[in-house]
Amino acid sequence: MRKITVLIIVALAFALAFSSPAFSARKTVIKIGINAPMTGDIPKVGEGSKYAALLWLEDIEKAGGLEVGGKKYEVELVIEDNESKAESAVKANMKMITQDDVLAIVGPQSSKQAVPAGEVANKYKTVMISPWSTNPATTMDRPYVFRGCFLDPFQGPVVANFITEEFGYTKAAVLYDVASDYPKGLAEVFKAAWEKKHGAGSVVAYESFTTKDTDFSSQLTKIVKSGAQVLFTPQYYNEVPLIVQQAKDLGWKGPIVGSDSWGSAETVELCGEACYGLYFSSHYAAAGAKGATKAFIDRYTENYGYIPDDVAALTWDALKLAQQAIQDSGKITGRIEKDRAAVRDSLAKIKNFAGITGNMTFTEEGDPIKCAVIVKINDNGEYEFYKSSCP
Amino acid sequence: MEIAKKFKNTFSTVPMLSWLLGTLTAVAIEYFWGYDYISYYLGLSKIPVLFGALIMLKEPMMIPGAIGYDLIVYVIPILLIAKTTAFFTNPVAAILEKMPLWFSVILHLLLFYYTLHLWAGINDYRNIIVRLTLISIILTISINVINGYQGEFSCSHPGFMAIGAYVSSALTLFLFANDKMFGTALLPQELGPWGFPFILIAGGIAASLGSLLVAIPSFKTRGDYLAIISLAFMFIVKSAVENLNVIGGARGMGGQPEYAPLPIIFIWTIICIWVIHNFVTSIMGKALNAVRDDEAASESMTVKTRKTKMTAFMFGAFWAGIAGGLFAHVIAYINPGMFSINRLAEILAMVYFGGLNSIVGSIVGAVSINILGEALRPLELFKWIIIPLILIFVMIFRPYGLISFKEINAKRLLRSKHKREQGV
Repeated sequence: MRKITVLIIVALAFALAFSSPAFSARKTVIKIGINAPMTGDIPKVGEGSKYAALLWLEDIEKAGGLEVGGKKYEVELVIEDNESKAESAVKANMKMITQDDVLAIVGPQSSKQAVPAGEVANKYKTVMISPWSTNPATTMDRPYVFRGCFLDPFQGPVVANFITEEFGYTKAAVLYDVASDYPKGLAEVFKAAWEKKHGAGSVVAYESFTTKDTDFSSQLTKIVKSGAQVLFTPQYYNEVPLIVQQAKDLGWKGPIVGSDSWGSAETVELCGEACYGLYFSSHYAAAGAKGATKAFIDRYTENYGYIPDDVAALTWDALKLAQQAIQDSGKITGRIEKDRAAVRDSLAKIKNFAGITGNMTFTEEGDPIKCAVIVKINDNGEYEFYKSSCP
Repeated sequence: MEIAKKFKNTFSTVPMLSWLLGTLTAVAIEYFWGYDYISYYLGLSKIPVLFGALIMLKEPMMIPGAIGYDLIVYVIPILLIAKTTAFFTNPVAAILEKMPLWFSVILHLLLFYYTLHLWAGINDYRNIIVRLTLISIILTISINVINGYQGEFSCSHPGFMAIGAYVSSALTLFLFANDKMFGTALLPQELGPWGFPFILIAGGIAASLGSLLVAIPSFKTRGDYLAIISLAFMFIVKSAVENLNVIGGARGMGGQPEYAPLPIIFIWTIICIWVIHNFVTSIMGKALNAVRDDEAASESMTVKTRKTKMTAFMFGAFWAGIAGGLFAHVIAYINPGMFSINRLAEILAMVYFGGLNSIVGSIVGAVSINILGEALRPLELFKWIIIPLILIFVMIFRPYGLISFKEINAKRLLRSKHKREQGV
């Protein structure tokens, strides 16, 4: 018994001696939460978000903190892993809001996590900006939830118009993942837009597969036989290389067009030369970028050794948006509920925000009005700006 | 070892009632002084949610503070109060022993719930962890009926859960909520919370009817074959939901009203534990064990093997459906991807970690996997190295899980521990 007592006392003494901030007052720190998939299905997306956030933090620290209303505040990032799972994203948001007292949250990236996580953010009246989520449900009827990218109903017609104008084709094929929310939604929107242009039945093959499939030969054979002139496949970086290579092996000659989910740096790395010369719609193009976009790309490449994908760029923009909203709110009172409401109000008011992925103005729903970019994968495997399409 | 023995000796006379009182005191200390005094003087910015695990992993400098906090708030008060109140709780426990068991159990449960409620009420993050953990407990116990007591290897639990989740969400959205999917509510929204139990049960029944699809074709199969059939069932459910655009398809279904606060989930968990405990200790449960050990022998001893297996399967599926319904109303969003192979791995990990053939084991498994998963969150990728490693070690040293083949004995758990009075 005595030994235990002694042990406890020693432990307590240590505790007090080593906790250096002991007895000091709690100071106001601006905390920004990042809810990203660091593990799970798409870790590369999480990595991109994290790196962009770290670069942003570096800038703030260099400036000696974030200046709000004439006073500089220390900024802290709270990066939480959502494991690419919905319930984990909900828990992460709950933790950041109630435990870490974050002022705003950036993320989650995929709609699967952003839809339920947005519910939490809205309920606790905390600003959440999802940089990459394209599902309309993420921001719908949620005054506290915003997004940094355009929506599928805009992107689908952009791609359909581009193909029509560029190649003059009238018969298209679509290959998509039926089990994943984003490709499925986009495939539907594209089909509707295409058929509106070229009449019913102009999408000659509408084939699907399910997540984690790696063999697409039966679908691709059908597509090749259908006489389609162009293949649209709104898939992620882990599937695009397989689809492209298998299509080429099966004798597909036409172009393959993708969507913003192609934008990851991994796509070309895994796909190699098979992907050169293909097009996809995206939020920004790395090669041939100018101004602030170029500065960001160069810094990112220098620090982390590869060209940032669109997730990183969008995350950067989302953070900049949050930063401006905080600065516009004019004052940090230290009372977190009040500050969060102030940040929300100033964020909704932002007009013509000059982001590296284009200019943004928010609609009532918290969705930005911004331009889409058609990117060409050039012969060096770089994502080159080809065309831009504005609403 | 000497210390451990002494420690065990000192506290062997403490009844459950005292432990609960001690915990309640600790939580009350945290509730009243945790933020303003204790965490403040230890230099912590807030009350550590999960016993400081998150802070310790993120900022090693804070380890002493967090340990100090745990000692001051939890360890010392619990031990102190447990020991000092033993003098009067032992007689009380002795009186309770003479009363009907249910009375004593309910009394203890109320005390436990109050403590839990207070603890979870300090922070909503804790609240959601507790709620999801309780749901995991229901899931783990229900799969234990099939994989433990029945001795099969069924992989269709996420499928049952999905059926329960979708049926109950569709019903609540259809009946009690104005939403885009089903239009305006059919019934007044005030009735929602009262109708929720029936909706959950409907979800459970749907899941158990779904389980017939696995049970009937797999009568003659055992072991690996059943595993494959049930795995197929899980994928069938997932693909079916993905292709049903009426209920959202891959986009998922959201906007479920919040009908599952902590007390509701707690009550369901207790009912689940009670019912399953009665089931597995009944004649049917014994028959189930007999079928597991030797099907042919039990058949010759007049056990109706087919009926037994079917009942157990449907029974397990029913509770998985209930868990799915609760889960959907906690997260307020479901999509078919949630009920896939990842969920299966999680459920199997919980049941095999905790222990087969044991309700206590299931509870231990569900709680430890959930808490570990949350506590190791700051480690990101390494979390997925540490948890599987722990699982591997458990499987090596305790092949049937931490606590296996053990039943709850409420009477023994709650009895008075005063040795002198009992003349030991």
